[in-house]
Amino acid sequence: MPKGKMLLKVCHLYPDLLNLYGDQGNVLALVRRLQWRNIGVEVRRVNQGDTVDFRGMDVLFLGGGSSRGQDLAAGELKEQREPLRATVEEGLVVLAICGGYELLGHYYRNPEGRIIPGLGLLDFYTEAGPERLVGDIAVEMTIYGKPVLVTGFENHAGRTFLGRTNPMGRVLAGYGNNGQDSTEGARYKNVFCSYLHGPILPKNPRLADHLIRLALQRRSLPSRLTPLDDHLEALAGKVILKRLLRHKKA
Amino acid sequence: MQKKEKSIKFTVSFTEKKFQSAVFPADSVRHSRAITGNAGARPPVEGMVVRASGSRVAGRVVYGNKSRCATAGDWQKMGTGENQVVRDPVLRSLRPTAAILAGKAALWLVRFLGGGRGSSLPGMVALKICPGILGRLAKHTYRSVVMVTGTNGKTTTNNMIARVLGKAGYRVLVNAEGANLVTGLTTAFIKNASLLGKVERDYVLLEVDEASFPQVTRQVSPDIVVVTNFSRDQLDRHGELDKTISLVREALLKLPDTRLVLNADDPLAAELAISTGLKANFYGLGESPQQKFLYRAVQERRLCPVCDRELDQACYRHGHLGDYRCPGCGFSRPFAEVEGLNASATGGSATCRLNLSGVSRRLVIPAPGLYNLYNGLAAFTVCMLLGLEPDLVIRALGGHTPIPGRAERFRYQDKPALLNLVKNPVSFNEGLNILPALPGPVDILIAINDNSADGRDVSWLWDVDFEVLNKHRRHINLLVCTGLRRVETAVRLKYAGLPVDKITVREMPEAVKDILCGDGAAAYLLTNYTALWPLERIMNKYAQRENVVKGMSPVS
Repeated sequence: MPKGKMLLKVCHLYPDLLNLYGDQGNVLALVRRLQWRNIGVEVRRVNQGDTVDFRGMDVLFLGGGSSRGQDLAAGELKEQREPLRATVEEGLVVLAICGGYELLGHYYRNPEGRIIPGLGLLDFYTEAGPERLVGDIAVEMTIYGKPVLVTGFENHAGRTFLGRTNPMGRVLAGYGNNGQDSTEGARYKNVFCSYLHGPILPKNPRLADHLIRLALQRRSLPSRLTPLDDHLEALAGKVILKRLLRHKKA
Repeated sequence: MQKKEKSIKFTVSFTEKKFQSAVFPADSVRHSRAITGNAGARPPVEGMVVRASGSRVAGRVVYGNKSRCATAGDWQKMGTGENQVVRDPVLRSLRPTAAILAGKAALWLVRFLGGGRGSSLPGMVALKICPGILGRLAKHTYRSVVMVTGTNGKTTTNNMIARVLGKAGYRVLVNAEGANLVTGLTTAFIKNASLLGKVERDYVLLEVDEASFPQVTRQVSPDIVVVTNFSRDQLDRHGELDKTISLVREALLKLPDTRLVLNADDPLAAELAISTGLKANFYGLGESPQQKFLYRAVQERRLCPVCDRELDQACYRHGHLGDYRCPGCGFSRPFAEVEGLNASATGGSATCRLNLSGVSRRLVIPAPGLYNLYNGLAAFTVCMLLGLEPDLVIRALGGHTPIPGRAERFRYQDKPALLNLVKNPVSFNEGLNILPALPGPVDILIAINDNSADGRDVSWLWDVDFEVLNKHRRHINLLVCTGLRRVETAVRLKYAGLPVDKITVREMPEAVKDILCGDGAAAYLLTNYTALWPLERIMNKYAQRENVVKGMSPVS
């Protein structure tokens, strides 16, 4: 690390297996928002067969994948479960979307009824429902005690039910974890799980900055971020919100 | 089961063909249809027993030695709604005619009112009246029925085949408008049918949506099926790519007499020959002096479709297409009988050399991009199978004119404008690749809608390699975003690292004015499906169309 300059390492887990629909945009959002603030950033893509030094990473990203990709990724991660669990307890920042989210729980029961064990890092389980839950979604989450609106697109067959884990947010419009209990995603320490594609981070810069801040704090680095011009992102969110609320009224 | 004398039981064999020739002896049962076997998790359905006594019609589904009451879904699969069972023999024979008549009326009405292109409404109307109409119209004897499916290149490939066969003097039935769902195919048949349901055509050429492929092939059995390639497209509609492929595979397994034409360079398409066991012919691109990455490959799953190991990719010729081999099971790119050598795509055309039984020929496709060469090779392979002369085929393909939205040219005053349809990451990347060939700097318009025909999810924009535009920064004057998701498109461009001061967000008419009047030397419009028609309409208002497409009336 060059002296005096901050450098964050973003780890993209199994981009070839877990990369369904634009989720790599999340990594891009972290990279750009760090670059725009003159903070050094390095992206490490981890592929099948690689071992990961979780302690050396700052943000871990797991995207959604096809069920096959998900199976393979789960198999790979199982061998590294212990170091991953320990680093999560120490405050590693993790963002897991859709399929990546599902595999952090106890298990996933697929449409054929087969149970695919997960890593069990967080207390929840997922069962495939008869129909996919698809559509735009708006969620309210809390960042530093303040309510923040998050928008995205969900597309999942799995219904996730949380145990002793907090949800990431509350569904304002859309389905969320299971279409029943108004919860969306899961949150444990610095692990953020969500069903939101979109991708979630570029469309919701406040969440992206929150992850960056947490990662800086974990390294005990100054975590005050220079504000950026986010008017386009805010406008994009507003368009979707307006549409969702109109549908809700109708 | 046979208690009353009036209730007559019979089981219908589960192949559609057998059913169609079955004679129903009982007067009380006027109409019955077999359920096609449903391979997969559920036990195979063997047949449906329909009993009718008086006005009551009851159905039981029999499988093995078990049976159950027919559900609404079973009736649906039979191609008829429960309460649509036709009991009057006169009405039964009139139903298809009524469907055709109503379909034709809808066709004229749509044309008369000029609202939209009417490519699916007539079919929808006819299917409502007679749900089995498509199968009925397709039952006529044709020389061959060819279907083209896959993610990209369906419409273009199908139209190329149609052009060649037309040039060879055959009468063809094509669903040319890209209306590739059951309703669209039915419309195509209705357009070509007489009122009595006669379709006098030599060849039936259909491009079929991947997800609709099983539904279509239940009614129309193809002689040749072309699979162009598989990549991610509209996941909110198709679910996952694996799912899409298995839908096509399952459907092919029920068509034992079909011959496949597969893209050898796409492992996902080429594998179908193994898992279906069908006879297959392959096409692809071979050796070329400039073997290089044309652009960063869209990150497709590059796992062996047979054993899940990561594939060794020897080279990429185009997108994720190329030469590959699995280190695990030995699955590798099959030998391509039709192989384009020394491929190149410069300016407005793509070309390659073909070696056919010792004779070398040059194939020129007058449309930009290597992907059009793939479409041309697919069409060429099909025409060879149909027994056409190679020279005739090459001549006909050389006169190919693009269809709306596929590289349409306009001119505004002295400024050339090019309009291209882009509907998924692969085709978008292809669209962006053309940029350096345009006279610069270029005013770019990107129109993105999220209506259901486009796919409601626009997150695929993040899989498009907009980053490549950074290499051509000086070549870009304006980046105007429009369409229902214009703001999100602008956000995507911003995160691609493109200069924010060049990016604007505008309503469609203003966006078009901006790029036509911009300081750039050329205008380039990239649009997805439902934004195409309004965009074309606005362009027609201001700009001169340069290549009028045959057989297509411009949108009024």
